[in-house]
Amino acid sequence: MKLERKKDVSPKYLLIVLSVICIALTVISAFFPDAVKPIKEFTGKFMTPLQEGANDVGSWFDDKVQVFGDVKELKKENEELKKELTQYQNDLGKQEAELAELQTLRDLYDLDEMYPDYKKTAARIFSVNSSGWFNEFYINKGLNDDVYEGCNVICDEGLLGIVVESYDDYAKVRAIIDDRANVTAEIGSAGYLCNVEGSLQNMDNGYLLATDIDKNAIVTEGDKVITSSVSDRYLYGITIGYVTSVEQDPNNLTQTARITLTVNFSDIKDVLVILDRKQEVNY
Amino acid sequence: MRRIISIFILIILSFLLQSVLFSFQNVRGIAPNLLLILTMSFGIMRGRREGMLTGFFCGFLYDIFFGTLIGPYMFLFMIIGYLNGAFHKEFLMEDVMMPVIIIIVDELFFNFVIYIATFLLRNRTNLFFYLTHVMLPQMLFTALATIIIYRFYVWINKYLKKKVEENEVV
Repeated sequence: MKLERKKDVSPKYLLIVLSVICIALTVISAFFPDAVKPIKEFTGKFMTPLQEGANDVGSWFDDKVQVFGDVKELKKENEELKKELTQYQNDLGKQEAELAELQTLRDLYDLDEMYPDYKKTAARIFSVNSSGWFNEFYINKGLNDDVYEGCNVICDEGLLGIVVESYDDYAKVRAIIDDRANVTAEIGSAGYLCNVEGSLQNMDNGYLLATDIDKNAIVTEGDKVITSSVSDRYLYGITIGYVTSVEQDPNNLTQTARITLTVNFSDIKDVLVILDRKQEVNY
Repeated sequence: MRRIISIFILIILSFLLQSVLFSFQNVRGIAPNLLLILTMSFGIMRGRREGMLTGFFCGFLYDIFFGTLIGPYMFLFMIIGYLNGAFHKEFLMEDVMMPVIIIIVDELFFNFVIYIATFLLRNRTNLFFYLTHVMLPQMLFTALATIIIYRFYVWINKYLKKKVEENEVV
């Protein structure tokens, strides 16, 4: 009886009712983000374990497929690697001696302050935005592991992104190549300030643009681009990439440089989250 | 009831596949829009009401995980489900061509709205680039997935219908 009555509701009216719900939710989430956070949290509690499980299945499958790779190739590679290993072991002793020397020199110049050792935690990516428009992904650490909104995310090679939403057991990260991302950075040893703009279009061609460099700045090919100390969201000294070319802007006031990123965004599985956050100043 | 549970499971499965496996280990991944395929399939197989409701919940999941606000994708998916429901009268079980054409139009509409709302409004005017580099691959990928998955949905729909009829006889 109940079902019968339900069927009588015209789809048109249902459409109107649901549209109103959608619009109301949009307005609420735009103006009061905290009000809808419980909804996200609640759904996330059900979905993220499933996603992590599916990700594990994917990893397992990936491993199994790789086992079927050519054994001969592996043997050959093994031999080569062994040779390399002995060479590296020889090198290691030398490097260690040099490292000790470097450390004493650093202590001498008090450079420790400049490259502080940030507290980090490892996390794994378990889900990514598949729309092709945005570069966002989910990691399996959240508030319970002291990962808060605004934490920087890096991998071995350099800066990856920043945590934009954090929940109990997982967090959402926006990559620096996302079209909406902007990073204040500095170039070279002189530390000229610039703004690294994330861009879908440029990233497709393999570079990002560093804009608003002072026109008098001397920027050359190969200069290292790192996060700046004046950035209010990114910690100082994380590698972003290297300059490949530089150009004077038509306005004759600024320069724009093309930079190649050190991180390969097409093959990332494990990331490091820096637990220290940038000090905030309320003006 | 059986139908609601099946659709619910299908929504979750599609979402998992889309968000995890297809873009495995690739932050810049493009995956076929399985949630859209689901919305479209149930729209044309079952009519406007079910297309709309499926779209509503698909959009809800999409919003929570891929969006910043809750609502916009919900609305988009819902409208697509509703409009596709209008093709219900034309529905033939053997026909694969129609759903493929419909999904291509859907994808174009879906991506175009995203482009206008999130890219064009931020002065990213190179439409041709976005058309060829983002929309087209996604459309192709989704259309290919439709050819495979649609059959499966039709089979599920047929199975559910049979079950309901059996229940009525009992």
